[in-house]
Amino acid sequence: MKESILAVRNAIDTLDLDGIGTIVNQCLKEGLSPEEIIREGISKGLNIVGRKFEEGEYFLADLIMAGEVVREAMPILKEKMNPGDAKSKGKVILATVQGDIHEIGKNIVGMILSANGFEVIDLGVDVPAEKIMDTAKTTGARLIGLSALLTTMVTSIRDVVETSRRAGMRDQVKIVIGGACTTETLCREMGADAYGETAIDALRIFNDYRATA
Amino acid sequence: MNPIERVLKTMEGKPVDRVPTFCAMVEDRTFNEVLGKPLISQEKLMRNPLARFILDRWGRKLPKLVFQGEVNRALEKRIRAQVELGFDSVWAILEGSFIVIDSKTMVRFTGSIFNLQPDGYGNMTYMYRGPAFKSRDDFESWPYWPDTDEVAHSAYKFFKKIVSKYGHRTCLFGQASAYGIHESLLWAVGFEKMPIWIRREKDLVKRFIDINEELCFKTNMALLDAGVPVIIQTDDFAFKSGPLMNPKLIDELFGPSYRRIIKAVHDRGAKYVLHSCGDNTLLIDMFISWGVDGLHAYETTSNADIFKEKKLHGDKVTIIGGVGVDYLLTDRSKDEEVVDMVKKLIRELGPDGRFIISPVHSLSSIPAHKLRVMVDAAHKYGSYPISIS
Repeated sequence: MKESILAVRNAIDTLDLDGIGTIVNQCLKEGLSPEEIIREGISKGLNIVGRKFEEGEYFLADLIMAGEVVREAMPILKEKMNPGDAKSKGKVILATVQGDIHEIGKNIVGMILSANGFEVIDLGVDVPAEKIMDTAKTTGARLIGLSALLTTMVTSIRDVVETSRRAGMRDQVKIVIGGACTTETLCREMGADAYGETAIDALRIFNDYRATA
Repeated sequence: MNPIERVLKTMEGKPVDRVPTFCAMVEDRTFNEVLGKPLISQEKLMRNPLARFILDRWGRKLPKLVFQGEVNRALEKRIRAQVELGFDSVWAILEGSFIVIDSKTMVRFTGSIFNLQPDGYGNMTYMYRGPAFKSRDDFESWPYWPDTDEVAHSAYKFFKKIVSKYGHRTCLFGQASAYGIHESLLWAVGFEKMPIWIRREKDLVKRFIDINEELCFKTNMALLDAGVPVIIQTDDFAFKSGPLMNPKLIDELFGPSYRRIIKAVHDRGAKYVLHSCGDNTLLIDMFISWGVDGLHAYETTSNADIFKEKKLHGDKVTIIGGVGVDYLLTDRSKDEEVVDMVKKLIRELGPDGRFIISPVHSLSSIPAHKLRVMVDAAHKYGSYPISIS
């Protein structure tokens, strides 16, 4: 493994927002391809950050910072990529359910998914079930992440599940929930497919669904 | 033993006659159920095209003239309702930090934007929309920074009245127009950008913290001058699965401000309680090192374990909370379930004192009836020595 690739990994692991640009440029100068830098440097660096988060060494703010480090690197890499080289892991629709306008958790999930190669379609907050399913139809996205903070708005999750059923798409989409008021029990109660407590859980769940799709 | 004595002695770890109760504020639905509904609901009023036109046209100029008086009356109702529900201690808040922009928007003077919207029960409430500071320029050109002396003066006037009306019937936990220094920063720049601001805009973050420290300090001192015995500060440091930031960084950034404020509160013979949402387990030792007397920081929907916390820290800090607002204090629960939880909390957390039973949060969906059930059960089963089988 080249030193410079390890330096990319290390820059993500140590959340080196100011150094990542120079390191990525150095990799390119040494002849490494953008794909290799992403696969061996960025993705593996993010894995380390995710593990540290799960082990309690890193916190939510560190996850965000890791996402920012990747965001700093990606334009440099994209510039050197040929059109069609960047393979998306798939489309994920993210939305805060109708009646709720809290979006911090959703945005963090979006950042982590994007940094890990998913194409995120963020519908924002207070999103009606119909809009979510219309988007699934028009974009072909089959992974849906719903965020809810307010206890009073949890039934909006069921609305999305029911709307997907009425649209004849229930078997085609996976509905994953998260947010302060959500739990495993609520997930079953509302008829959703999975519950993620953290952004890293969400990444794992969507990765699993992608692998089994 | 009167409620004030009961609460303060509990916070000092001294014996009392029964487990005290604390009300974590009540929202409009709840106080309307206690005190009676207004003739015209706020939501109806806000739907009126003329009211909307006035707000859209002159909203920014109205607050000092019209709104603050109305807001203060509503806030006093909140306090009165909590007292009438029979709580030993109540969260008395003065909210003077909002500026109405139009019929759907308010800003907080420390740089955050809120939606003005119906609460689902005929009243209006506010909900965080997003940060006001997206750049250095936004920060530098912000037109609403508060005059902290003026805010403190208003706080003194409001609380002087509140103390004379309710201070002999309940132990007032006071907070005035100043929100937590950490959460104010989070709201002002947005959580997704806060780590970047902390890394790249150190001088602005420092200035922001200084402004908010001064605001908290001055308003707290004004409350103490007015006779409030306990200062309560909201500052959400955690999400449901743990702290938002590395505890070491939290201590470095916000610890000096909190240590200074709490020391000043103690110097004046008062107590200090911190409210923080989420799972604060990893932060409790740090909060204690700041000097807090009580923590209202054990949200039931988070991974925090109040029973474990009592064992770990119950000899150093007063544990406040226990009754969930996600199910127990809603229309969906049965009265017996509330009573059972109160009994469990008293049985497990009551012995050795330093426990105040309370809802874990305020919420517009809390029915007054369930709070009454909670208080009645606490009175019935909370007498020392605890003897619940």
